Amino acid sequence: MSTVVESRRHDADARSMEVIAALVRRTLLRVRRMPSAFIPSLIMPVFQLIAFSGAFGAAVRLLDIDPMNWYMPLNAIQGASFGALGVSFGLLNDMETGFFDRVLMAPMRRSVIVFGSYAAAIARSVVPVTFVVLVSFLGGLHTPGGPLAILMVVVASVMVALSACGLALGLTFRMRNMGAATLTQFAIFFGIFLSTSQVPLSEMSGWLRACARVNPMTNILRFARQGFLGDITWAQTWGGLVAMAAMFVVSTAFALTGLRRYDR
Amino acid sequence: MTSSPIVARELVRHFGTGDNIVKAVDGVDLEVRTGEIFGLLGPNGAGKSTIVRMLTTLLKPTSGSASVAGFDVVTDADKVRRSIGVALQDAAIDPLMTGRELLNLQAVLYGLSKADGRARGDELLERVGLTAAAERRVGTYSGGMRRRLDLALSLVHEPTVLFLDEPTTGLDPMSRLTLWEEVRRLNQSGTTVLLTTQYLEEADQLADRIAIVDHGRIVRAGVPRDLKAQVGSPTLFVSVDQAHGDSARSTLARFGELRPSAEGTLGVGLARGAEDVAAVVRALDEAGIKVRHLELNEPSLDDVFAEATGHRLEGAQ
Repeated sequence: MSTVVESRRHDADARSMEVIAALVRRTLLRVRRMPSAFIPSLIMPVFQLIAFSGAFGAAVRLLDIDPMNWYMPLNAIQGASFGALGVSFGLLNDMETGFFDRVLMAPMRRSVIVFGSYAAAIARSVVPVTFVVLVSFLGGLHTPGGPLAILMVVVASVMVALSACGLALGLTFRMRNMGAATLTQFAIFFGIFLSTSQVPLSEMSGWLRACARVNPMTNILRFARQGFLGDITWAQTWGGLVAMAAMFVVSTAFALTGLRRYDR
Repeated sequence: MTSSPIVARELVRHFGTGDNIVKAVDGVDLEVRTGEIFGLLGPNGAGKSTIVRMLTTLLKPTSGSASVAGFDVVTDADKVRRSIGVALQDAAIDPLMTGRELLNLQAVLYGLSKADGRARGDELLERVGLTAAAERRVGTYSGGMRRRLDLALSLVHEPTVLFLDEPTTGLDPMSRLTLWEEVRRLNQSGTTVLLTTQYLEEADQLADRIAIVDHGRIVRAGVPRDLKAQVGSPTLFVSVDQAHGDSARSTLARFGELRPSAEGTLGVGLARGAEDVAAVVRALDEAGIKVRHLELNEPSLDDVFAEATGHRLEGAQ
């Protein structure tokens, strides 16, 4: 009866990369079969791009900045973050249905669960970023920094998405309810809007300026925007790289410790 | 170290802290022998699922120890996971995926190659009678089909120990019988099975030995036939008008010990069984008590449960 798996069955230490790939395939399959849960994260950044560049564009236009070039990186990052947040909703759903128990019972390293979610977050975030970039080109986006500008906005978007995913996972493992996603949304909003999301630092004053100065998102936005506002320089790059790396490390540690706590 | 595939010693699990502490499992000793079907019988909230979750490494014990397939569930959790198959209380399956997709995913989680996973999936789909439904989304499956798929998923890596947490809850009688047959077949092929159930009949029909769980403790354990024999005599259940409850109770007490029974019914143990029924009816009649309903039951696991816990298994079947 048992025609297969005789030789390898019980020494099956689930290969991490294959498991991660399988978890990503499952995420994409769920997106394809339930697009209604994904479409908002696709539409919202484009809607905000149009709304922001139209309604608030005048403010940056006074500074001789093209509103589309100013807002596109912001909305790409925002879209990617909310796209990644879908992973946390998926995790919560898996916890409620018990599917997450199935994953927990598999003989594999626990970190694969977090990194599998990260891989799924990348898959979910690249789609809205691509959509935002395409719509922006239709709306008149230009790249004085060359093609590298696009790569930098994609890198920034994915890195912020991964940090948002790590935060969401950490909260979901700890709270095990919808509150985790809500808190992550708050964190994304605060992080983005208490930075140079709307106007450059030089035009800000008071407490908002103080917040924006220390907010790592300011450095990330500078990193992502530079190729759309002028030349790409190391001076505008390193701060963003440090900020993205720090956010990634902290959020990943938060997710992994959350999973360890869940595992008790 | 014992060679039994499932062993628990003074297993305890508490939830909450301080004054809000809940002792879900309160010192469970358990030993399941190789190749047997062992049933944990108890009502909802008795602690059965918590015991299973600890034995399957999903929950760490507050204290005590347990080993499954010879490995400690805390220090060797990964080795335990490789050795066991688990179908939890709610079939943990993604309704958006097809049966085959889920089996393929499960195969990857357990380290099978793509080809091996596919072949094993085909074999299991056939075994649980889901080949025709393999490409359908699980959301369209009936409850019985979902359970059978859940069982198939738990067998992908050919475990030596199988945990089934309330495998037939909510299933129609036909689906229940089908699942029982499959569990028996698995057991005959050498798989040790620990199942939890709140159904007396299920425990009676399937389990070689059972443990009755109540308030986080095992209150009786043994072979069902022996446990029933220990309860002894049959129980006569009598329904009378509410107004005659007290006098009926004192009348029945003359014939044997009163036993726990459902509300509105009185139960009495009759040492000579059916031979005593006529005398009981006469005594009730002489006392002017009108009998509405009368039923003589041979000892059942419900009697064992009642004798052990002081109450009957709610909704027992």
